[in-house]
Amino acid sequence: MSAVDVTIEICGMSGDGTIAAGGLLNGALSAAGFSVLAFDSYPAEIRGFGRCVTRTRAGESEMMALADKTSILISLDDEQSRSRIPFLRDDAVVLFDNRPVVYVGEGQSIAAHLEPKMNPFGIPFGDLAAEVSGARRGRNLTALGALAALFGLPGNAFHGAVKRKFQPKGERVLDANLKCFDAGYQYCRDTFKDRLERISRLGSRDKTGERELLSGNAAISLGALDAGLRLYFGYPITPATPIMEYLAKELPKKGGAVMQMEDEIASIGGVLGSFYAGKRAMTATSGPGFALMTELIAHATVAEIPAVIVDAQRGGPATGLPTKTEQSDLHAAVFGGPGDSARIVLAPTNVSECYYYTARSFGLAEKYQTPVIVLTDFFLDNRVENILPPKNRPEDIENGNVYPDPSKHGVYRRFEDTKTGISPRSIPGTEGFIFRTTGLEHTEEGFPDYSSANHMKMTEKRHRKIEGALTDLPEPVEFSPEGNLDLGVVTWGSTFGAALEAVQRAQGEGLKVGAMKISSIYPYHSDSIRSFMMRCNDILFPELNYEGQLANLIGHLFNKEVLRFNRVTGLPMSATDIYVRIRAIVE
Amino acid sequence: MEGNIVYSTDPEDFYYVDINVPCQSACPADTNIPAYIRALFEGEYQNSYDMNRAANILPGVLGRVCSRPCEDKCRHGEAELGLPVNICHIKRAASDFRKGKAASPFNALPGIDKKVGIIGSGPAGLAAAHDLACLGFSVTIYEAMGRPGGMLRYGIPEFRLPRQVLDIEIEAVLRLGVAIETGVSVGRDMDVDELLVKHDALLSATGCYRPIPLNVPGESLEGVHSGLEFMMKVCKGENVRLGDRILVIGAGFTAFDCARTALRIGAKEVSICLRRTEEDLRVTGDEILETKKEGVKIESLMLAKEILGKQSVKGVTFFRTRPGKNRDDGKRDVTPIAGSEFVLETDAVIVATGQRPGPFEAPGEKDENGLIIADREFFRASRKGLYVTGDYLTGPSTVIEAVAMGRRAAHRIARDLTGKAFYEKAVCLKDCQPTDRKRPWDFLPRQEMPTLTPVEKRFEIPDIEVETGYLKEQSREEAKRCYLCYLHYEIDMERCIYCRYCIDVAPRDCIKLVNGVETNDDGAIIGFVETSEWEKVNAVIIDNKRCIRCGECVRVCPMDCISVTKVELVDRKI
Amino acid sequence: MAEQHFVVIGNGPAGNEAALTLREHAPEARVTIISRERGGCFRPHFLPRFVVGKLAEEDLYLSSAVSYRDKGIKLRSGQEVVSVHPDKRKIILDHKEIISFDGLIIAVGGRPRIPENLMVFGDLMLTLKTVQDAKVWIRKLNETDTVLMIGGDLTSLSFTKQLVDVGKKVCFALNDDAFWPLRFDRYLYNQVAGRLRENGVEVLEYSRIRGMSLLSDGMIEVNTDYEKVRAGLVGAFFGLKPDIAFLARSGLKIDRGILVDEYLHAGFEGVYATGDCAQVFHPDLRDYWVSIGHDNAVALGRTAALNLIGERVRAEPDMACIFDVQGVQVNSSWWMEF
Repeated sequence: MSAVDVTIEICGMSGDGTIAAGGLLNGALSAAGFSVLAFDSYPAEIRGFGRCVTRTRAGESEMMALADKTSILISLDDEQSRSRIPFLRDDAVVLFDNRPVVYVGEGQSIAAHLEPKMNPFGIPFGDLAAEVSGARRGRNLTALGALAALFGLPGNAFHGAVKRKFQPKGERVLDANLKCFDAGYQYCRDTFKDRLERISRLGSRDKTGERELLSGNAAISLGALDAGLRLYFGYPITPATPIMEYLAKELPKKGGAVMQMEDEIASIGGVLGSFYAGKRAMTATSGPGFALMTELIAHATVAEIPAVIVDAQRGGPATGLPTKTEQSDLHAAVFGGPGDSARIVLAPTNVSECYYYTARSFGLAEKYQTPVIVLTDFFLDNRVENILPPKNRPEDIENGNVYPDPSKHGVYRRFEDTKTGISPRSIPGTEGFIFRTTGLEHTEEGFPDYSSANHMKMTEKRHRKIEGALTDLPEPVEFSPEGNLDLGVVTWGSTFGAALEAVQRAQGEGLKVGAMKISSIYPYHSDSIRSFMMRCNDILFPELNYEGQLANLIGHLFNKEVLRFNRVTGLPMSATDIYVRIRAIVE
Repeated sequence: MEGNIVYSTDPEDFYYVDINVPCQSACPADTNIPAYIRALFEGEYQNSYDMNRAANILPGVLGRVCSRPCEDKCRHGEAELGLPVNICHIKRAASDFRKGKAASPFNALPGIDKKVGIIGSGPAGLAAAHDLACLGFSVTIYEAMGRPGGMLRYGIPEFRLPRQVLDIEIEAVLRLGVAIETGVSVGRDMDVDELLVKHDALLSATGCYRPIPLNVPGESLEGVHSGLEFMMKVCKGENVRLGDRILVIGAGFTAFDCARTALRIGAKEVSICLRRTEEDLRVTGDEILETKKEGVKIESLMLAKEILGKQSVKGVTFFRTRPGKNRDDGKRDVTPIAGSEFVLETDAVIVATGQRPGPFEAPGEKDENGLIIADREFFRASRKGLYVTGDYLTGPSTVIEAVAMGRRAAHRIARDLTGKAFYEKAVCLKDCQPTDRKRPWDFLPRQEMPTLTPVEKRFEIPDIEVETGYLKEQSREEAKRCYLCYLHYEIDMERCIYCRYCIDVAPRDCIKLVNGVETNDDGAIIGFVETSEWEKVNAVIIDNKRCIRCGECVRVCPMDCISVTKVELVDRKI
Repeated sequence: MAEQHFVVIGNGPAGNEAALTLREHAPEARVTIISRERGGCFRPHFLPRFVVGKLAEEDLYLSSAVSYRDKGIKLRSGQEVVSVHPDKRKIILDHKEIISFDGLIIAVGGRPRIPENLMVFGDLMLTLKTVQDAKVWIRKLNETDTVLMIGGDLTSLSFTKQLVDVGKKVCFALNDDAFWPLRFDRYLYNQVAGRLRENGVEVLEYSRIRGMSLLSDGMIEVNTDYEKVRAGLVGAFFGLKPDIAFLARSGLKIDRGILVDEYLHAGFEGVYATGDCAQVFHPDLRDYWVSIGHDNAVALGRTAALNLIGERVRAEPDMACIFDVQGVQVNSSWWMEF
């Protein structure tokens, strides 16, 4: 029997409780011991209009990407769900409400559109909810109950998730929701008892440690909190807003503060000010906001002020596609801003890395006195994974500042050109370590100086400093067999999971292919990247942008033109698409 | 605002009840069904029984043998809403569980010095006697049989209607001071003129006792019985022997009663032979199922051509028939197929193809069959003082129709004799609170009538009642299912803010966005002009024809602008 | 004018053949099959061999579910019609979807018939009509070696043969309703009983079933007039009865099946019934006949489809195969097949 790998979708109109149901499903699947990766999409516009879809992939092995095809669809609104049919497997199971409030014309029920091999299960979601709770509202819960019964998922895992969600709303609400769940469960147990054996039973898995469900955004927030964040400045923008929401709730509990600024320029200004004063601070934004921040980011590079900035990418350019995913801010993150303004850019590839890279970035920013940009995207921010609970590491909490030697008392040079390029930094107000600082090019003492020699020297120093940071930055990781490869797939960010899945599938079929994950976008580890590339006949960069931005950045390390696979569909990268491309190249 | 009561005789309001309280308007006797179901739910068994009795006189009897036209119309039985409420079984439960006596719910009026004679003590006669006695008339019933009850006693087998139940309800009528002379056949033992002299009015409610023959050769052979005569003999306790194999020809309750009775007196193989099909039967589904369970076979599309045999019956030749179109009366045309004859062997034939009134000696105008001519509105025959009602007037009908006819005739007589009406039909409108029904109750399964099992027991004691009756809890569960359609929900458009929360929670398309309403000449709303264009919406309206009275709209309305009114068709004392 | 929409209810041999014929002869029309069964059209008469493992599941199917799309036939499988309104040319599905049609062929076949007096024991008896039924048999046969068959229809006899073949101990209660669709008589009884006994089947004396109960050890005890019999499984085989409860009050003429004329026309324009659920009038016979068996169903399915698209083909039973069953003529090659 093949390992469980199932993708479950819930689709409805906003107001149907679709997203809530998706959340409960993730919680329950996680509690049942599955690895979970989920991604919701919902209308950009004001709540109350539009389609909501939650997609959850659950399985025994670690889930890294979404699947192309859905195995189980729960339709809470047939009109909306029709659009999902092309994404269903041939043998998909479809749960729908067979007792809509009114009779519908031909084609208005999802049943009209299913292919013959699909398995429709008509379940009176609304009526069952009304039957036990008095209102149709709880039909998202009856749908979950139905799902649990049909696929043999443990009811107590769902009960637990429901309790966690609804306990705060009072016993009555909790009770109504539990009853709705049980009604759906019991109905399917009774009604479909002879059909149950036809569909694969999922059951539950042994847990490998207690898992925690986190979204990328939550992981980022948690990472920042655990690293000792004191101040958060921000201005709302999709998809970064949940970070501010999370911190607004949690940061004050730890004695910190969240401040909503008038815009992104003010936000980055606040971050620079805090770090300048020696306190850890952060801002998070998306492409349009990041563009506004670039001048002050460049300022931080020249004035050598630490900063942590999350750029949660979305479809661009400019306002672009606010609720879609894309990886097209790489150029802006690495190069955005006036002048040669080298900075550190880290790109997590999963929820766990969202936590660790964010937590790490504070110490890096302090040590290298530079902005650190954590580059995520919509799909990574909003995906939910159940990960091993992140561990708060001492090195992330530890102050990264390189303070001046006490012997320099009175003779302190703030921008001293050391071997590493790291000039010891004093916190303003330290007696005997007073310094000048400016966004103008300056001497080691901090006096403005436009002389050619000085500009040459100081620019080189700052770049040397950033290059030197490589030792502290996550190394590229290879996923390949020994020896020469027909193809190497180099990948970053949210695309990594799909790429790895595609490569492993190809490897499983005997193809000589490998993958490399790049987490440190800038500076990058040229040597290890080059040595991987040299083992490969061809190099492929799958990216969710049109230009091939990582390929442009590091493709020159290969001895011939690299291949690209660029998608700007607004959707997460598909493992199948990459796999197909791999096969095409290799054969 | 409980208590604000208005009585209306506006045609608009009668129209409303007709459309929106389907069960009450389907009942020939206008039984206030939602009210008695509600009373039973509240544990008021006696009250529930009395409400029935006020309309239909014989709740215990009707709770068993009523033809249940109400259930066909019950809103709960609409396509998407499940099965109709078992109204009849609830009626029986009220009768089974009441504590008090079957006394008259009417207050007897001061005596009126007028005498009315009633011929026949079947349902029509009993109902008429009851109402006239309540109004203060002195009433005497003349009954040809040994005991009162007419067809109820002599036409319906005891396993469907225990005689004890019948006796109690007849007794309740007689206790009002109604005199009865049994064993007196009018026309044979005394004549109509004589009675007309003795009484200020004489009501003939003699029913239909003349079997309609098949009119085929061989009908007079030994072993050929008329259904009614067969039933009467068995009911009288006579020893009837039929043989092993029986064919019952007919499709009504009588045919089924005969077939089941035949099994109980020892027949081995009984078939009911239908001219049409099982699908066309008017007998209730439960009845058909129980009959089949007992082993009766139902055979269809056959028309008797000839009964075979020398002295006693040996078999029947049938034509195969072909069904045609549905006639206006809802029955399907059938035509025999020439040359399709086939023979079924049998030991006896019971012909239960219906009955009609038999002529009896009476003065005044008669029709070509010798039957007294009377009109159905005023019940008057040509001879002054002589009235006719019940099945004699209408042809064979149902118990509930006979009761209704009897009562109406009584009120006509009362009016003719005193020159005034005592009661009028009115629509009672009463402000009330939203229902306390729970939405989950709409999904309760229909409580089926428990029956005596295993089937063999039914043959050990042939008179034992087959339907054993609800337990108290079952009757309450079934009562919960009633939507209480006598409640009227209305949105006050003066206060409505068009938020449409009510539409969001509506269980079906019962709340409508409308541009306007359609009315008939009486001003009654007969339809809505719905619109999906927001600019054209002039009102948010509850369509009480679609409404299942779940009350969800009232609960969510932020403006509290949905009012509830109880609407009942009542007999109002004038 | 919008394209014509032909709807076939049922995807057994008759419905499937009707849809294929419509597709072939009316290429412009839209053809929809609505089938309560999941998957494609399977051959019910193969079920006994499937149960005993002589046939793989995929061999049961005449055509795969997917192939309908290629043929341009919309197959709605796992969907149920709950009412038909032939006058309004609409049908309503269980999930409250209303479908309009220009032509309708009803080919819903039958469902296992359980005599009314045995209905209370319904939970204790297995039937064999669907693939699902077969799987229940397969599962339960793993746990027992004794089977009691009640009834005596075509399926039961061929099933008995298969069960004996794989070493099961079969006991047969040929009773009142035995030999459906043939009328019971002593001659037939002796013939069949003899044949069964030759095959090693224990045949009970003719008697009625009086009671049935589940014993604690999973055995079922059956009481007849004369004896008590125990078996691990009890199968009820009283033939099929047309599955047409959903047509009640539709206005269609219903007797044991849907009454149709010799052209399978059901009395409303464009509405036909065919296969096991049709009760066909035969002008020469001056009576109705119903048909059972796979080949008959296919032939009838084709006839209905041709008549729907304007031809005038008479449904003709093979007179040699007509039996009288309780007043209804049955067209069956039953005797030959047994």
